[in-house]
Amino acid sequence: MTTTIIIVVIASLALLCLLWLAKGRTLSASVLDNPTAHIRALDVEAFRNLVDPDEEEFLRSQLPPAAFRRIQRERLRAAVEYVSCAAQNAAILLRLADAGRRSTDPATAEAAEKLVDNAIRLRLYAFHAMARLYLGMILPGARIYPVRVAESYEQMTRQVVLLGCLQYPTRGIAAAL
Amino acid sequence: MTVSYLLGYYLWVGPHVLLGAILFAMIRRKVYPQFPMFFLYTAFEILQFAVLFTISRSHVHFGESYVRVYSVGLAVSTAIRFAVIHELFRHFFRSYPALDLPGRYLFRGLTVVLLLVATGVAVSAPGNSASFLLNITYALDRTASVMQCGLLISLFIFSRYFALSWRSNAFGIALGLGIFASVELATSAIWLHLGAFGNRAVNLLTMATYHCCVLIWMFYLMRPEREAQQAPKTLPKYDLDIWNQELQRLLQR
Repeated sequence: MTTTIIIVVIASLALLCLLWLAKGRTLSASVLDNPTAHIRALDVEAFRNLVDPDEEEFLRSQLPPAAFRRIQRERLRAAVEYVSCAAQNAAILLRLADAGRRSTDPATAEAAEKLVDNAIRLRLYAFHAMARLYLGMILPGARIYPVRVAESYEQMTRQVVLLGCLQYPTRGIAAAL
Repeated sequence: MTVSYLLGYYLWVGPHVLLGAILFAMIRRKVYPQFPMFFLYTAFEILQFAVLFTISRSHVHFGESYVRVYSVGLAVSTAIRFAVIHELFRHFFRSYPALDLPGRYLFRGLTVVLLLVATGVAVSAPGNSASFLLNITYALDRTASVMQCGLLISLFIFSRYFALSWRSNAFGIALGLGIFASVELATSAIWLHLGAFGNRAVNLLTMATYHCCVLIWMFYLMRPEREAQQAPKTLPKYDLDIWNQELQRLLQR
């Protein structure tokens, strides 16, 4: 009897979860209507600095262990903010570039395809990087270098500019990146 | 004839008539090459209904033969539903080459994990029915429902995390299957616990859910395919200063 009740409860939760996921399957219309208002500026150099191994080694050598762990946690917390911001920007750009993939202009379609591809990769790296950064916050001594996010973000920036030149007039996208 | 009896008949016959309309629409709109497994599933459901309905009207009524045909039909239908889910995964990840490989690993990994979970549930809670056939049927149905529900929820989570757009007919198929799988998970567990075939309330709940799912499939497969993404509404008016600044910034790197 208990197992049956547990299964029924799990099934009900699964149904609710499915409906919730299906309801929010797209970014809200306001985000897509005015993406520039939702894209947040990201200082890639500052992010690189936060996850720079040399910087980390320097702090490790200069600070007492307790102070280093505290500072390192703060740095990683800031890095998490950067990564989630980059991932959010990637999600918005991905949806915007999706329209470009069906463009009749081959150059626009190709640029959009590359942007979609890169934005997906950035989301993958971000997922991976977040896990590593949180792990680093738990174990501040561990060496965590999620640099691929920065590289991928820069590449995506270039592709946005290219696609924007070909298709999007949105001033804010270029300005934000 | 009571209202419950009439409702039961409507919920049994109605969805299959609508499935016929879906089948016709898929052929007419040439959607079936995109979703051959869903097409097969729809056709099989109609065939299964025709056979079961004929048996129920004959002298056999809802006897042992009916249960046997029902069990075999359920097994085949469940297998085709797995093929439909695999088709949805393939259809979805094919649109995004960067996700093709992770998507394949996700499908395989999840299938193994969910199979282990479902097997664990099947071992820990066997059925109470005296009939071996019914026990096996409902236990397999429950196992399959766990897996189908898990796979479809994972697909929705995956698409949501990556902010990917669905083609609306694929979304409709996945949503309908997901709803049916989650309700069938609950009802198969109840059936297995009751150990009896044809509990009225549970039957009505399952049939009503299936009717809703068929309506969802109808809605998404019959309406015109929308552009999955909003396109910019205005024509480009290039801001040369901004593009120039960006170009200079890139050249400085």
